[in-house]
Amino acid sequence: MSDTTVTVDGCDTLPKLFLKKTAERGDRIAMREKDFGIWQSYSWSDYRDRAFEIAWGLLALGLQRGDVVSIQSEDCREWLWADVGILLAGGVVNGIYPTYQSRQVEHTLIDSSCRFLFAEDEEQLDKYLEMEQQLPNIERVFVFDWTGLRDFEHDKVEPLDKLFEIGQEFGRDNAGMIEKIAEEGSGDDLAALVYTSGTTGMPKGAMLSQRYIVFQMTIAPDYLRQQPDDELLTYLPLCHIAERVFSGWLPLAHGATINFAESPETVLKNLQEVSPTYMFAVPRVWEKFYSRVTTAMSEATWVGRWAYELAMRVGLRRADKLVAGQPLSTIDRFIYALADLVVFRNIKKVLGLDRTRNACSGAAPISPALLKWFLAMDIVIDEAWGQTELGIITSTRKGKFRFGTVGPAMRGAEVRIDDNGEIVARSDGQFSGYLNLPEKTAETIVDGWIHTGDVGELDEEGNLSITDRLKDIIITAGGKNITPSVMENELKFSPYISDAVIIGDKRKYLTCLVMIDQENVEHYAQTHAVPFTDYRSLCARAEIVELIDTEISRVNSGFSSVEQVKKFRLIDVLLTAEDEELTPTMKLKRSFVSEKYGDLIDSMYAGKS
Amino acid sequence: MTAPLLELRNIETYYGPIMAIRGVSLTVDDGEIVAVLGANGAGKTTLLKTATGALNSNKGKVLLDGEEIQCRDPDWVARKGIAHVPEGREVFPFLTVAENLAMGAYTRNDTDAVENDTATVYGYFPALLEFKDKMAAYLSGGQQQMLAIGRGFMARPRLLMLDEPSLGLSPALMQEIFGIITRLNEEQGLTILLVEQNANVALRVSDRGYVMEVGGMVMDGPSDHLLESEDIKEFYLGKKEEGVRGRRRWKKRKTWR
Repeated sequence: MSDTTVTVDGCDTLPKLFLKKTAERGDRIAMREKDFGIWQSYSWSDYRDRAFEIAWGLLALGLQRGDVVSIQSEDCREWLWADVGILLAGGVVNGIYPTYQSRQVEHTLIDSSCRFLFAEDEEQLDKYLEMEQQLPNIERVFVFDWTGLRDFEHDKVEPLDKLFEIGQEFGRDNAGMIEKIAEEGSGDDLAALVYTSGTTGMPKGAMLSQRYIVFQMTIAPDYLRQQPDDELLTYLPLCHIAERVFSGWLPLAHGATINFAESPETVLKNLQEVSPTYMFAVPRVWEKFYSRVTTAMSEATWVGRWAYELAMRVGLRRADKLVAGQPLSTIDRFIYALADLVVFRNIKKVLGLDRTRNACSGAAPISPALLKWFLAMDIVIDEAWGQTELGIITSTRKGKFRFGTVGPAMRGAEVRIDDNGEIVARSDGQFSGYLNLPEKTAETIVDGWIHTGDVGELDEEGNLSITDRLKDIIITAGGKNITPSVMENELKFSPYISDAVIIGDKRKYLTCLVMIDQENVEHYAQTHAVPFTDYRSLCARAEIVELIDTEISRVNSGFSSVEQVKKFRLIDVLLTAEDEELTPTMKLKRSFVSEKYGDLIDSMYAGKS
Repeated sequence: MTAPLLELRNIETYYGPIMAIRGVSLTVDDGEIVAVLGANGAGKTTLLKTATGALNSNKGKVLLDGEEIQCRDPDWVARKGIAHVPEGREVFPFLTVAENLAMGAYTRNDTDAVENDTATVYGYFPALLEFKDKMAAYLSGGQQQMLAIGRGFMARPRLLMLDEPSLGLSPALMQEIFGIITRLNEEQGLTILLVEQNANVALRVSDRGYVMEVGGMVMDGPSDHLLESEDIKEFYLGKKEEGVRGRRRWKKRKTWR
């Protein structure tokens, strides 16, 4: 563990910083959320008051330093109030994905010896009630949204308002208590548990200290350029480390305003309303933007298409020059300004990216072609890299375009490549180990360095590029090493392919499972008069299989023969976030998918050998 | 494989600027009863009207026995062998029962056969015989529904399309009418396309079913499969698990599997 003290504004813990910053910011807007369809604002003072009431309430109920409190909810203002409230009381926050089913929730609640639970609404509450008998350690449950529970009575379950009441009363007699707890805290204190979706076995609880949080706060604004006047849209689960950094910790340290998306389904609509100035997204969302534009263009009038293609040519040429570091001539600038005025500005407005000054992609690899497409529209997407165990520790730098790399290590972090090609890294704010799993911890942290499980390379400037997950590397029966993610990313760039998993370990040739992009493929079917009824019948249509075949052949042509996908199958079940096939950020889980669809995979290797 | 009796392919229908049906495909084979389920505004009636030519589709094809019949006049389509029993009966109120039935046979000139069929209708619906010379307006809702079905049958169609026959009927009367619909199918070999909100009864009488939501198909399959589907049970049959508290208010996400 690192001995260095990491501070932001002289504070080495989140509670100290929160007390300082909320006092400074007062009535400035901290967050907005829709209520009955109308955006409502909450100031930093509101944030402070609510967090204080929650902290006092928990203290009144006997919370001790280091006790774990869980939050099981979609993103909402109460999530962050509770998050900070728990920390102010000296507790440890454990975020639980709202898409988890009961038995997954049960494991994290038992493993963490959780004492108190915050549940979003009756749906999440029911998950607790189903396994109440197995969870005697839960003393109280507080529900954010009491709708539909008016007549419900249970001696452990109460609405959040009740906790506010308890807190207000306790606070009157114990003024100064929270400040005192904050004063006693140090960077070494455990602050949060983040359960990482174990692809094999149960999820592991990564322990994050106060230092981890404060270290993440220091990466802006020098690396990730989030600024005090930025507007953000919060839509990825706050339990995920990336959204917690971008929407939780960075705004707290630097003062940006966050806006909660209404639901995962309304993100694109909310984007248009909010038009964030700082945009963090996972590659899946960036791909969605791209496919929306391409689909819209295929339907546009010929004038529209012609203008788009022309503007894109101008934009891509400019992007090429920027990448090569060549200066732009006055004429270049003028033509680009014209293209921007006529085409790009309008596209960006429709996407809700017209005010975006800085953008960032992370949590999964993104296709360089996609980054270039955005650069053509003058949206510079930084690529950041990290993992729960390390936090975000590398990022590309503005003005330097090294597509395919995730940039150099940030201040306070170091990256090197191990003999077997594995990326090994350390940072001033790395995690403190897995809860209750000393052996796993010892496997991951060796001599203070974290073994990331990723394979990659460092170039002469120190830019890191990620090849793949170490365990995902395919060694074909012919002995050829293949890194599937390169091709998978190319495939995902197709508007018709939402995600793809390449298979071929110890097999004769490579095959692929494809999840189609429902919206765009349905649209294709409709415009090409391909009859279908539901999702399954759509996947079964020969025309659609042929469409995907064309897409795969196109991508194949860029690869050598052994690296090409020889056969593929479509996953004909429409997967949702509740399904275990997908991660909370809607990526297919390779190991899970290859097991679950074993028969489908075998069918691609059956027959003549 | 023979072509289905009726086939809709990628139908898109607009009401002015509003797309009511966004790409719907469906097939009905000879001799089948096919049910289309969906909530209010899902586009079920629009679908039938598009098939009969009462509405023109902006895109897609309607095939009767492999022949394109979309965007033709409704009377032309009716002559081709599609009878449409509209939602809310729509009998001719000032004509007698017998005259209403005769109107159903308007396109036919095989007088003997028409007489025969009239007798058949009275056989299925004895109540109609009783009020044969009464004005249709004086009939009860259930009798009017019987008359509307009888009138549809009088055209001796290849396909009878029923739009919500259960509308406004008592449970007992509904059972009776659906019993007769099944008999018409079995005894007369009549192919039936049935649009219904009452999923329970519709799935019990039909061979196959389709589920429509906001203008598109979300699910299809043999009716007994649909009856077992979790989503159909919860959202169409109102059979949800009570949940741990005995009163669950939140809805599961529809997956249509």
